[in-house]
Amino acid sequence: MEDGVTATQVVFWILAVVMLISAIGVVTAGNIVYAALFFIASLAGVAGIYLILTVEFIALVQLLIYGSAVVILILFALMLTRARERPQALFGRSRPLGIAASLGLLAALIGGIVATTWTTPESSAAIQPVGLQAIGDAIFTIWIVPFIIVGVLLSIALDGAIMLASPDEDDN
Amino acid sequence: MVLSEFAGVSMPDWIDALLRIIFIVALMTIMAFALIYLERKILARFQARVGPTRTGPIGTLQSIADALKLITKEDVRPITADRWAFELAPYMAFVPVFLVFVPMPFTETWFIRDLNLGLLFVFGVLGLNIVGVVMAAWGSDNKYALLGGVRAAAQAISYEIPMLLIVVAVVMVAAGRLAVDGDASAAGSINSIVGDQTTTPYILLQPLGFFIFIIGMLAELHRPPFDMPIAESEVVGGYFVEYSGMRWGMFFLAEYTALFLLVVLASSLFLGGWNWPFGADVGLGLQIVLTFVKTSVLIVLVIGSRALFPRLRIDQLMAFSWKVLLPFAIIQVIANGIILAYGGADWVVGLVSFGLLAALGGLVYYIMRRKQGEGARTVQTTPATPRVITAPEVTPVEAGGD
Repeated sequence: MEDGVTATQVVFWILAVVMLISAIGVVTAGNIVYAALFFIASLAGVAGIYLILTVEFIALVQLLIYGSAVVILILFALMLTRARERPQALFGRSRPLGIAASLGLLAALIGGIVATTWTTPESSAAIQPVGLQAIGDAIFTIWIVPFIIVGVLLSIALDGAIMLASPDEDDN
Repeated sequence: MVLSEFAGVSMPDWIDALLRIIFIVALMTIMAFALIYLERKILARFQARVGPTRTGPIGTLQSIADALKLITKEDVRPITADRWAFELAPYMAFVPVFLVFVPMPFTETWFIRDLNLGLLFVFGVLGLNIVGVVMAAWGSDNKYALLGGVRAAAQAISYEIPMLLIVVAVVMVAAGRLAVDGDASAAGSINSIVGDQTTTPYILLQPLGFFIFIIGMLAELHRPPFDMPIAESEVVGGYFVEYSGMRWGMFFLAEYTALFLLVVLASSLFLGGWNWPFGADVGLGLQIVLTFVKTSVLIVLVIGSRALFPRLRIDQLMAFSWKVLLPFAIIQVIANGIILAYGGADWVVGLVSFGLLAALGGLVYYIMRRKQGEGARTVQTTPATPRVITAPEVTPVEAGGD
């Protein structure tokens, strides 16, 4: 193997360790704000993996969306829970259900990974980076209907949020 | 992306990257000193004072004296503060801002990397800054800090959306113009956007864009009139109220670095950066002067707005973003799409955008006049009950919609 591949692997393993440790941190941290902060570290690791895969666009979108989303998560955690006053009970009565759900997801993912036939390119030079324009063309031509449906769904969610949050009436 | 530079590793690259990092940090420190000095001097002029005069010739060494004081100050951590969040927050606020340096074109060839997704990179990375702010706010275990942090988060998220949309509108125009030369896919790169403005700065094509960008910039930077997150008279400094010494200095440095970078971005996107009005052939010496002049004008504008405008209320701020700026940004994007799809000329784009800007100005004026009239009528009869829009009311939009 030439030098460049090794460096990529080193970066990959560093990112992988960061991702795994912070993913474990998300579920084991007793403090809900810590969990959210671990979550963003894990997502940043995923963005790094995207960078290695030369899909910079997805990496940046990952940072852009989840950066804000995690801030929102922290705000919700602060407003809806009493994060400071007492340690959060991580395990409730639904613990067996949770274990079952996560084991089921794990099984499904492993099954999916094993069942897929992965094509291995001859060399890293054979991998063509997907251009931004290609992504745009795909979204706005072939996949335009799903795109519109997602847009409508989000608009409905937005309207619902406004309906729920707005005070009863009389001032508009 | 510094990372991909490391991926093709060989020792000179490492040294190269390291040198660039050192250069940036040194440059930004000096720049922050200069900006702080300028801000104090300009602000003093607005308020009929003279500003710092004692340290060095006409007070020029004041910032350095302040920095020395900061470094020698004790680094205090409140005993109830959350240790990790408190100590790491300044770095989390500091590092993303410095990463934004990567795609900034100071001259035709002076940038770290010309990223094809430069604009997306800027906003993607700069958005992480707010995580540090919220960490600081929560970690300090101080009610004022928490209030300031929550305000900062709500504000940053609401103003990011019109700002990003208006940048999309600019990229649409740039793509339309670059397509004439053959490569529309370069429109995400800041340097090629500047390269296209040899004869026409985009402020003529997108005056509404410039307006919304500057407003969004002021809000992102927590500059007056959008400085509720750090308002001394309301939340005694906001999210960094518990910080002292060098950690406080890091927040400060991050803030001034962000100011400088966003101003360079604004001058690149709308004022033609190093290019307009002399073109790319004038040589690097004049290009850097052009960038310097344009950024200076914008910096004076930003600093001056601190002296000229009173602070808004948080509900006014939210209403302005969601009810005024966002609809206009969306209309601008749609209008650009329609005009460009039917091959409209540049002057049509500019005229429509200018019309939208005039409509925005008229609308705001009308609303203000009506509010003033209402206020005058109701002030004797009913006590004012401002409808405070708090963060949860706007947050679902971002969580699901971005």
